[in-house]
Amino acid sequence: MASFAKINDDNEVLAVLTLDNENCVNSEGVETESVGQQWLETHNNWPADKWIQTSYNTINNTHTLGGTAFRGNYASIGFTWDSSNNIFWPPKPYPSWVKNTTTASWEAPVAKPALTAEQNAQNTKPDAATPSTHMWGYDWNEDTQSWDLTDTYA
Amino acid sequence: MQKKVLSEQALYFGDVKMPKHWEIDSNDLSGYILQSNIRNSEFLFSKTWDKLNTYIREHINLKYKISLVNKNTWGNIYKPTETTIPLKNINPIDLRNSPDFTLLYGVKVEDCTIRIYYEDNRRKGRSWDMPLINNQFIMFPSTNMYIIKNNQKDSLNFVQTITYEYI
Repeated sequence: MASFAKINDDNEVLAVLTLDNENCVNSEGVETESVGQQWLETHNNWPADKWIQTSYNTINNTHTLGGTAFRGNYASIGFTWDSSNNIFWPPKPYPSWVKNTTTASWEAPVAKPALTAEQNAQNTKPDAATPSTHMWGYDWNEDTQSWDLTDTYA
Repeated sequence: MQKKVLSEQALYFGDVKMPKHWEIDSNDLSGYILQSNIRNSEFLFSKTWDKLNTYIREHINLKYKISLVNKNTWGNIYKPTETTIPLKNINPIDLRNSPDFTLLYGVKVEDCTIRIYYEDNRRKGRSWDMPLINNQFIMFPSTNMYIIKNNQKDSLNFVQTITYEYI
């Protein structure tokens, strides 16, 4: 199986389709992107160069099954294809966030603080039957350009 | 103080920006419109129509997270200076099977105006005029009445209509 993202002229992902292997292998039986693109052009009424192969098992530039990551992230509707970095980017979460091409993810301009040992302990269930007392975490505040400590149980 | 929008009457409009060399073939689409009008038959499926329909559905989903499902489609030819009677694409006694949205696409148009009627609470009978030009679409709620005006004296106007429901 091979997945392809359909993109428009603005490089926005419109749809993601999955092909049978037989539709994207060349005459020597090797999976080839251009063969899949041509098949999609013929059957889906959209130009071949606007179909970009994507990997189901790649997220944040890591292959979840231990293989080689491919194009940063598995594409999804609303993602953007970046041909210069060869990465599918998810929508930018905040205007101030910037691309990290190593992890294929968006990063805040200020690093997220770590929770203290006490906060981590309070987030942890004492046992299976007892809920934790807090759920501490940090949320990005675009107005103040900083991380706000929040307790979702509060 | 807070606000909750319970319902909205929105117009969606713009160009159909297809990739280069993959533009909507207006000659092909107007041919199908002519054929269905002359034969008084159903509008036939074509690759050109499918390009248009797919473009609209995918881009409305991308930009506004509205999943559209096709209800019906037809094409009309409007004579010079013709103004339609007020049109509405819902059946008031069968709302369940009526569409949510009506889309008008300018296949081959010249000086064409769409007037969409709406109500603003107690202010009834308001209208909004929008020009429809070649390769542009206007989509609005099917509960809104509208008229199509061919303003000039020389050419026929070809307009494709597609109705949708959303899920």
